[in-house]
Amino acid sequence: MLKVKNLRTSYGKNEILKGLDFEVSKEDIVAVIGESGTGKTTLALAIMGLLRYQQDNVKISGEIVFNGIDLSRLKEDELKKIRWSKISIVFQNVDNILNPVIPVFKQIKEILNSNDGTSIINDMLEKMDFPVSRAYAYPYQLSMGEKQKVMLAMAYILNPEFVILDEPTSALDFESKNNLIKIIKELSSQKAVLLATHDLDTAQNISNKTVVLYGGNIIESGSTKDVFTNPRHPYTRGLIRSYPSETRTKDLQGIKGNPGFTDNGCCFWPRCTQAIQICKEEKPLLTESNGRKIACHRYGIIPLVSVSRIKKTYENRSILKSISFDVYEGETLTILGRSGSGKTTLAKIIMGLIKPDDGEICLENMKVTCWDSAFYKKVQMIFQDTRAALSHRLNILESVTEPLLIQKCKSNEEMVDAAKQVLSEVGLPGSDDFLYSYPHHLSGGELQRVVIARALILSPRVLIADEPTSALDPSIQAKVLKLLNQIQEQRGLGMLFITHDLGVARKVSDRVMEINNGILKEKILR
Amino acid sequence: MNKRWVSYIIAFFIIISLNFAIPRLLPGDPVSAIYGEDVMVKLSEDVKEYINSAYNIDKPVISQYFLYLASLFKGNLGYSLYYKQSVGKLLMSYMPFTLLLMGLAVIISSFFAFILGIESGWRRGKKIDLFLLYSIIISSGFPSFFIAALFLIFFGITLGALPMQGARTAYSGFTGFGITSDFLKHLVLPLSSLIFILIPPGYFLTRNAMLSNIKEPYILLARAKGLSDSKIRYGHAGRNSLIPFVTQTGMRMGTIIVTGSLFIEMVFSYPGMGSLIYNSILNRDYPVLQGSLLIVTFLVLIINFFMDILYVKIDPRIKYAH
Repeated sequence: MLKVKNLRTSYGKNEILKGLDFEVSKEDIVAVIGESGTGKTTLALAIMGLLRYQQDNVKISGEIVFNGIDLSRLKEDELKKIRWSKISIVFQNVDNILNPVIPVFKQIKEILNSNDGTSIINDMLEKMDFPVSRAYAYPYQLSMGEKQKVMLAMAYILNPEFVILDEPTSALDFESKNNLIKIIKELSSQKAVLLATHDLDTAQNISNKTVVLYGGNIIESGSTKDVFTNPRHPYTRGLIRSYPSETRTKDLQGIKGNPGFTDNGCCFWPRCTQAIQICKEEKPLLTESNGRKIACHRYGIIPLVSVSRIKKTYENRSILKSISFDVYEGETLTILGRSGSGKTTLAKIIMGLIKPDDGEICLENMKVTCWDSAFYKKVQMIFQDTRAALSHRLNILESVTEPLLIQKCKSNEEMVDAAKQVLSEVGLPGSDDFLYSYPHHLSGGELQRVVIARALILSPRVLIADEPTSALDPSIQAKVLKLLNQIQEQRGLGMLFITHDLGVARKVSDRVMEINNGILKEKILR
Repeated sequence: MNKRWVSYIIAFFIIISLNFAIPRLLPGDPVSAIYGEDVMVKLSEDVKEYINSAYNIDKPVISQYFLYLASLFKGNLGYSLYYKQSVGKLLMSYMPFTLLLMGLAVIISSFFAFILGIESGWRRGKKIDLFLLYSIIISSGFPSFFIAALFLIFFGITLGALPMQGARTAYSGFTGFGITSDFLKHLVLPLSSLIFILIPPGYFLTRNAMLSNIKEPYILLARAKGLSDSKIRYGHAGRNSLIPFVTQTGMRMGTIIVTGSLFIEMVFSYPGMGSLIYNSILNRDYPVLQGSLLIVTFLVLIINFFMDILYVKIDPRIKYAH
């Protein structure tokens, strides 16, 4: 039905869409999601051939093929014949989108060429659940939801083959939104629909395919279910994490930085927590694998730690029976289990403190053979018992900088600066008084944060946190959990979070696994 | 709507009360304020009596006020010593010319100003827009009497095609159709120069309104709907540009009637209110001046009232805001 090939649009020197390729076939509802300013509305207007009216100096290249005709080459007269009868649009519900001084009925009627469209319009309004008696009202007399219904009625009244919906549910309350979603679904059977939205709930509810747009590039696309349940691009995951869905229990996380699209390399690298050198230099191509398309030099979110088939037996008691899992970049995997279920053993095996009977551990897809300083530079652990984890002979500065000392990577002054920086990150003072105090001078909460600071000073990729908050009172615990969440957002830290507290698990985890009788199982928390 | 009635009535009473108060607030007695210092000496007895009874000088102010109101409602606006006629009758003979001239000028100029403004704004930056814009800017820079004089010289003297003054040819003996055509010929020059003067403000406003309206989202929607250009231009953009245009025209009515007619009627010696006001100023004929201003204010009030009704029709949001 509609095929977009290498579509590029620019206003003057400002390029908005940077080469889009996608397809919408009949009975497809394709959601285009992304933050504001990524080019969703520009795409909609480009398809309608209306871009030239929105801005001066518009340039369009590439093809927009609709039923075999390239719309981008058509003249205004020819476009007029296609507009609305073949392709209609529901614009974003902004002020004055409907003419303020004309009754809405007339505004629908002017689409129909016949003189007698009253019954058609009334039927359509009824389908929309819009009171026909209000049809002669002026737009200012209608609520947002009613206006939206009028716009939908307009869009579907000529029974077009292709409908573009631009934020059809923004600014609506929960109930009217669900109501409208139902109506849209009903009307859209047998049609092709392009849904541009930042409302992920609507996208998930209506569409069967999803295209993720960032900075005018498609960075991920695939079936809606796949994209939402298993986002592979870090941006898609960030977007989903920022959206307060009904079932989400983890605290909201944003995406680091602000949308500022770069033309060098991958458009997302300044905000990406797993960017490497090539990301800054070369633009990734949209490549397909397993029905998903993704534009990422690292082929999506990378697994940081992969544990496979780990077994451990203590004195004939089998603690861990073939345990396998991955911890991905920027995600928190929680291992839940009763005391004595082997959680800490597992953590210690990963850290190389206990040897497993069988199985292997990979770090960034490389099998770990020896646990040397290079490993510990990337993987750090927060131990359960903080007082035991800090030597009472070392002052805070010495404790926090000890990892740097072992790695021998910094001069003394740099180490002090790094310590101050990381302490301020965890909300502790960097004053000399504090730096030269000893563990017994500090409270439990402060000590916990010192331990976290020590774990973070090397900027590890993976943090294994073994009951990091079990010794803390609720208010300090909340602070520490928020802190970890924030650090994860900024640094893309992969976290293996070990706890026996279900409540904590709900607030911090992207995924939860429960260990029971030595077997690890995925657990869904609601 | 009820509220608006009340406010118009209040405004009307304030105006007639001011009309009553001004001569009485001036130094000396109102009669000399109105007719001049030496009026009582020069006049014959019966005229003096008439004036005294007309102004009820001997009664207290309050009863003077009510008697003034009563005589006003009977149509008594005073007596002109210069014309030796009652002011009411005098106005009745001058008024129709002005109403005709002004009415036609406002209607025709509004039509052209609006259409030109829409077409010009729609074609922003194109040749026809720039041509209209610059020529109207230049023409609007000339004062009205100058334009009237230009018309007079060119059409009246150089071409000699049209009569230059008055509303009809004196002692022509025309009958039937002859009277009408003679009357219309006399109307052409004052009317066309007045139209010429009235077009620019309306044109500028409509063009500006168009420029901002064509950027409104509903225009994009209208385009997406595949509507014809003229439908978008007049049905949507033009429809919304009508709102400020009507407001402006309504607000300018007073100015149009007084200053417009004053200059144009003077130049063409057209026997309307403008000429009457001008002459009464020259001759210090205060009763006529006072009466004319009262009538003009009353006229403006009535026009504003109808404008208000019209305004609700063209912008339904106004009603909602009350």
